[in-house]
Amino acid sequence: MNCQICQKEMEEYREGRLPEGIRVQVEKHLNNCKACAEMYNLESIAYKVIDQEKEIQSNPFLATRIMAQIEEMEHKKSTFESVPAFQRILKPALIGISVSFALFAGVIMGNLYSSGEANKAIPVEMAYMDDASMEAVNLFSNE
Amino acid sequence: MTDNEIINQIIKGNSNLFRLFIDRYQSMVFRTCMGFLHNKDDADDLTQEIFIQVYQSLPKFKGNSSISTWIYRIAVNASLNKIRKTSKSNLFQRFETLFGSEKNKELLFPDTETENPENILINSEHRDWVQKALNSLPENQRTAIVLSKYDDLPQKEIAEIMNTTEGAVEALIQRAKANLREKLSSLNKKK
Repeated sequence: MNCQICQKEMEEYREGRLPEGIRVQVEKHLNNCKACAEMYNLESIAYKVIDQEKEIQSNPFLATRIMAQIEEMEHKKSTFESVPAFQRILKPALIGISVSFALFAGVIMGNLYSSGEANKAIPVEMAYMDDASMEAVNLFSNE
Repeated sequence: MTDNEIINQIIKGNSNLFRLFIDRYQSMVFRTCMGFLHNKDDADDLTQEIFIQVYQSLPKFKGNSSISTWIYRIAVNASLNKIRKTSKSNLFQRFETLFGSEKNKELLFPDTETENPENILINSEHRDWVQKALNSLPENQRTAIVLSKYDDLPQKEIAEIMNTTEGAVEALIQRAKANLREKLSSLNKKK
């Protein structure tokens, strides 16, 4: 019995499914080979953990939760289907058109106001005023 | 009622009959999810998602395979997708491990309350090792091992679920076991 054969038979040895002759050989090898014994120990730990996880039960109310979610889905589906198709399309389309129109109208009105200010005529007198060479106002206030 | 009769009735609108489906396959789906996720709450949530997916996909079921094979395929794909999504949020996962999952482990294994503290620590450490070792396997090896060891399925059925041959399943399981041994051995040496 070498390590390769022993490792191949390890699982069946653990489960007690080996014929007597082979079982004895595996046992003898595990008693003498530290590496295989360690590997057997680690595998046994792994299977113990897996067995523990397998014993865990799911939430007993899981089926109820699933059925409640399905019922809600079916209800939403039937509510959606009860509304006529043209109504389902018309309402969002109208909202979209209204918002677009409001934005467009706002932009147009804003442009009209700003273009009015730019085209306003400057008084003729203002064109000849030279601020830098004007006398200070406080000179006149002392009179 | 047979599964096909139940499916036909559900498609016709008798959705309440889906409860029979859940009762038949809940344990099977939950065990598969546990094999991939190793967390009861996550496995419960994923089981719920899987059954909703099964319900929505019932009209598409063509009967090319058995119902159980079809449900196993959905469960495996959903579990792998969940793992891929979770691995992308590594920072949050580390935070959860720091503050959350240790508590979950205590709830999962209440029998350790009666054991002495040293054994509880060793068991917790062993669970970490085994979960790390299983999580490190490539997806196809992990799937084969979960279906073999958690669901106790024969290789023929695993091959049908994974859409491959029995020989390929045997090879995957052997490679998975070898990788597990290697990983567990390295974790043991780090101790």
